[in-house]
Amino acid sequence: MLDARERLTIRGRLGADSFLPWITRHAARLGLDGEIRHADAEQVDIDLLGPIDLIDAMEMGCLLGPIDVWVETIDRTPSPSA
Amino acid sequence: MTMDRQPMIDQWYPVALASQLPAGGRATQLMGTPITVLPGEPIRVVTADGRDLRITVRYGHVWTSLGDPAKELFDIPEADQPGRRLVEVGVVRVRCSPLRAVENFLDIAHFPFVHTDILGAEPHTEVGKYDVEIREQEDEVWATKVQFYQPQAAKSATGGITTDYMYRVPAPTSTVLYKTCPARPGEWDVITLFVQPLTEELCDVWPWMALFDDETALTDLIHFQQMIFLQDRSILENQIPRLLPLDPGREIPTRADLTSVAYRRWLKRHQFTYGAQLVAQ
Repeated sequence: MLDARERLTIRGRLGADSFLPWITRHAARLGLDGEIRHADAEQVDIDLLGPIDLIDAMEMGCLLGPIDVWVETIDRTPSPSA
Repeated sequence: MTMDRQPMIDQWYPVALASQLPAGGRATQLMGTPITVLPGEPIRVVTADGRDLRITVRYGHVWTSLGDPAKELFDIPEADQPGRRLVEVGVVRVRCSPLRAVENFLDIAHFPFVHTDILGAEPHTEVGKYDVEIREQEDEVWATKVQFYQPQAAKSATGGITTDYMYRVPAPTSTVLYKTCPARPGEWDVITLFVQPLTEELCDVWPWMALFDDETALTDLIHFQQMIFLQDRSILENQIPRLLPLDPGREIPTRADLTSVAYRRWLKRHQFTYGAQLVAQ
């Protein structure tokens, strides 16, 4: 399966310290190459490289996220770093 | 965790079949609190310290709440539709989180592997794309346009068919499944799972159905549904962790789990966490 490069733009109440390490851990668990390109309390942008099904799974995981974070939406676009 | 101020305390829960209350009442528990369901007119539900709880009788079951529900029990309009058979399946005790029992019911992908040659069969294991939404006005989770091949979708089915499904979660431990009605095209059979949370890791499950099926004997309908649920029970009781994780942790939800993800998000949003694992371990 060909790898895809996508950016996940996550919006919500994301200020908890747990979120960025959680993202890194979950991406690694899925075997995705990921880089956090932007992070503040309301938006996190992650660039991901890997099979599309696993990027789908990353989106599903992030929709849940850690308990102290509320993800409202996730937009997916081709990664600008592609 | 404690259940103090747990928002789930203000929800309705099934605690007995109204038609099968023993003369001495049904002693049971709800969210760790011992209660007794007493027959009579009206039926009463009382706690060990003598408190009378609110009750309602609907869909063949007695429903109660330890708190003060802001809404009436959710509506299932099909329950009042002429011509349907209303089937009280009985109760199955399951050593799992009540939220796990609901989440398992929402999982279509397990059909070919757990209900082999009945609700699914290899190689027809793929779950196609479907729609999931949280309907804001009703405050319910809905999955629609779900399609799955089934060798024997219902007791009345005589062969394999592609079955259409809709899933609905109107309350944290109740779920309603609408599926293709083999006997009456254009209508939906209604199969529900009403779950009574005994504790965070133990529940009584009360399946109930509203079907168009004039042919099948009632005992066969009940046995069919009990067989399906007993197959689920062996899976449910071996799931680790017993509580339903709201943080996916080691679980890897995929796009096929979209309904489960929506259900967990809905629980999280409302802080319906009795029976949930909050932090991945």
